[in-house]
Amino acid sequence: MPLESATRAVRTGLIAFAFLSYLILIGIPGRIGGPALPVLALIAALFFWLILRRESIGQFRQVSGVGQDSSEGKPGWEIGPQAGANGSRVRELLPSRFGTPLVLKGLVSGVTTGLLVAIVSGIFATAMGNGVAIQPVLDKIVPLNIAALIGVSPGQIAQSDVSFIRFLVQVLLFAGAGILAALVAAAGRNEPAQNALTGRLSAHLSGPTIRSGGRFAGIALPFVLLVYIAWLGLPGVTAFGTNEGTVRLLLTLIATGSGLFALRLCRPGREKLVVAVLLGLGVVTMPFILDQFQNSVMGLVFIFVMMGLGLNIVVGYAGLLDLGYVAFFAIGAYTYAFLSAPFSSPYISSLLILLGISPESPLLGYWMALPVAMLTAAVGGVLLGIPVLRLRGDYLAIVTLGFGEIIRLFMLNLGELTNGPRGILEISQPALFGLTPVDVTFGLLSSQGWIFLLALVSSALVAFIANRLNGSRLGRAWFAMQEDEDVAEATGVHLVRTKLLAFAIGATFAGMAGQLYAARQINIFPENFSLFVSIDALALIIVGGIGSPAGIVLGALALKGLPEVLRGVDEYRIVTFAALLVIMMIVRPDGILPSPRRRIQLADPEEAVGDSDQETGEALADGDGGKEEDQ
Amino acid sequence: MTSSPVKAQAAGTDGRAAMKQFTRALGAAIVILVVWRVTTVGLAEGYPASFWISQALNGLVLGGVYALVALGYTLVYGILFMINFAHGEVMMIGGITGFFALQFAQARGWMEGPWPVVVVALLLIMFIGMAASVLIGVTLERLAYRPLRQAPRLVPLISAIGASLFLQYSVLLIFGVSPHSYRKPALISGGLRLGDVFIPYTGAIIFVISILLMLALYFIIQRTKLGRAMRAVAEDRSTASLMGVDVNAVIVVTFMLGSALAGAAGVMLGFHNTVVKFNSGFIPGLKAFTAAVLGGIGNIPGAMFGALILGLIEAIGPSALGIPTEYKDVIAFTLLVLILIFRPTGLFGEVLSEKRA
Repeated sequence: MPLESATRAVRTGLIAFAFLSYLILIGIPGRIGGPALPVLALIAALFFWLILRRESIGQFRQVSGVGQDSSEGKPGWEIGPQAGANGSRVRELLPSRFGTPLVLKGLVSGVTTGLLVAIVSGIFATAMGNGVAIQPVLDKIVPLNIAALIGVSPGQIAQSDVSFIRFLVQVLLFAGAGILAALVAAAGRNEPAQNALTGRLSAHLSGPTIRSGGRFAGIALPFVLLVYIAWLGLPGVTAFGTNEGTVRLLLTLIATGSGLFALRLCRPGREKLVVAVLLGLGVVTMPFILDQFQNSVMGLVFIFVMMGLGLNIVVGYAGLLDLGYVAFFAIGAYTYAFLSAPFSSPYISSLLILLGISPESPLLGYWMALPVAMLTAAVGGVLLGIPVLRLRGDYLAIVTLGFGEIIRLFMLNLGELTNGPRGILEISQPALFGLTPVDVTFGLLSSQGWIFLLALVSSALVAFIANRLNGSRLGRAWFAMQEDEDVAEATGVHLVRTKLLAFAIGATFAGMAGQLYAARQINIFPENFSLFVSIDALALIIVGGIGSPAGIVLGALALKGLPEVLRGVDEYRIVTFAALLVIMMIVRPDGILPSPRRRIQLADPEEAVGDSDQETGEALADGDGGKEEDQ
Repeated sequence: MTSSPVKAQAAGTDGRAAMKQFTRALGAAIVILVVWRVTTVGLAEGYPASFWISQALNGLVLGGVYALVALGYTLVYGILFMINFAHGEVMMIGGITGFFALQFAQARGWMEGPWPVVVVALLLIMFIGMAASVLIGVTLERLAYRPLRQAPRLVPLISAIGASLFLQYSVLLIFGVSPHSYRKPALISGGLRLGDVFIPYTGAIIFVISILLMLALYFIIQRTKLGRAMRAVAEDRSTASLMGVDVNAVIVVTFMLGSALAGAAGVMLGFHNTVVKFNSGFIPGLKAFTAAVLGGIGNIPGAMFGALILGLIEAIGPSALGIPTEYKDVIAFTLLVLILIFRPTGLFGEVLSEKRA
């Protein structure tokens, strides 16, 4: 067996193990119970089959980032000439590696995965058998998982009553999975016929009739979903039995997301305008037909859309990686809280009494407080911006992260001003001309629906402003600065002003979002403003496609909305999402819905060089350290 | 925004000059404020000298641990020019693994044995922690960083943030939210009393081991062939590869060395703080990064001294400034911000700064 295919087979086994360990991590084996091991082996077999089939067809060559030498070029699936980085293309297109039978490859992959599973479960079982409590309080999930993996009961593990045969069975099972996958892949080796079939099918699918039909269906989908959601809201109607609220929430998320795709499917011009207006009307009706829970989730989603749009100005447009964005969110929220809560904190109350104002009544309403919150956040943005003007990309990230933490620590420890961990309670709700919309609409609009509506309108406004800014002189200055600060300055971009404006405008939007968040939460505490808010905001613009407003909405729906649907698996959210972040960076660094104009927003000038000149990849690799701002 | 390019250019230079003036004034103001605060509040409290000495010793112990972690940041930065954001988590993994090794040893009764057994067991625990950290560090490099080596600079940083979160929350899922508490064996639980100053054994041992490990690292880098290869790669990767240095292997070894030090730091921090949990690597990681920046990132002796200085400031700062100890994290972060504003190349200068300037 040649070394190259052996290492590749081992690598396949390693990747399969990585995926399985994720499943184990989120507690799948423990939930399945007895048949967990065969199920995992089947999943592994499926994975092996996917890889082996691809190898047996030999058409695609994985140039994916995982486990590749950096000299082989850009990550991603690449076809054709690119694939022949270290071998001729002809060899790649041959039906298989003649030298190595697929079965042997499958066996090696399977044994690799099996051995790793056996080693990991063996270590845990040995530890638990020797009186090591893995989880001090909730010593349940891990033993169940490990027991299911080994195929014994948790009690047996605790008494270290596990025979060695069990681990051998694990290895054999996975080896079997590898062989099975190889056999299936080999059986399907007469691919050309199938390929012709799928080829014809896809040609048919892309035919003009089907295509316009699909387009029409795509545009109609959000409206159909909306009508269905409204129908589900009628009294006495249920969907799929019990869990109706979650189903409606999921449908709402899908409807909103599909609306974005519908817009993309439209022809530019009148059609797009009409659909956009209809979609806008449809979205605005949502707060009226959803219930309190669904509205609160959607409100949060759109508050994060505002955050994402604001952060996008700083990161996406101006290219300044800001990890302390939560600071401005917190400033907005706390400013509104100070102004509107009946008793905000000892310090504020005594200040008010000193000024002769009763601390019992809110100082300013939502609308009067809005400019104050925005201005405070903007000032915060400039104050953060001034010291970090000279910093480079990754230093900037760490310093802003430090700022975010400093703000949180102050909120936590300045008890006299911020009430410390006890938070600020009973923040007043936004009113409309002195009336609450809940009363005006006779209960049709719930309080959370009102927040959702406000979030929708505000994020539309923010999106509009951001879009106008992007096309403006300032937007082009940001873009130029992001590409190369020195060149930008030489062509007349005022760096200090441009950077500070980016920070200030981004912070303003975060302040708006923070104020609305405070109104949504009613009571706010310092732990609402942890680093994870920054990371969530950053992640949603990265996942959605940096620089693209539609992508941001999609990212917010996926990252803030979906976890609410998947309640109960919420604790796995961060793990899943962190893994996705890494994979996303490797496979698709420009997001799900990348902005058409800016393919890679995080790009350095070196990127262009690296693209055009693959051969000298390694030599150029240190080019990323080459360009620095002058200090 | 309507000024002509020439004017804007002039404004830009004016802006820079004004910025310089501004930062100078800011620096002077901060120095005056700190001096005033220390003299009027900190010293006015009238703590005895022994208090300051024991605080300083505490700071040195913490500084030693930070130094081990900071070295990992500096080594990786020196070679790859990337901030290994997940390095704090690599340390935490070492701490967690060390905890379980300790529990295992205690369950076996090794910790109550004669002193040679205890010493060997403790060393073994540290090695197990180091091994786990090395495993995680190398995996991290392979999966999350190597595919992105030619990507724009911020892409690996985001990937590193993802990796950091992934490690933290995997540990949370496996080992639970609540902290795991290290139980010190009787042999090292006491302390030494010199007059009014109390030195716990663990503190002294941690400091000695940190210094030994740092010396070992320094030896490896300055005296061995491997170290020469590492320095060559840090200097110029492409030329080094032309000279026959296996760049990938050197990078892997760099991650191994950094992670091993972090693992040792994790175990020792576990003994020092007596608890480890899923996020106990995050703040020390940030502080170690601060230390690396303080000493000039990429500069190995700089990282060691920077960490010791940071440890001292953190231990003495709150009492000297007369503020509650909850603010010690704020002091560290503020220090980071101030260094980056006033002396971005660190106290001892970035070793590679001229190349990248």
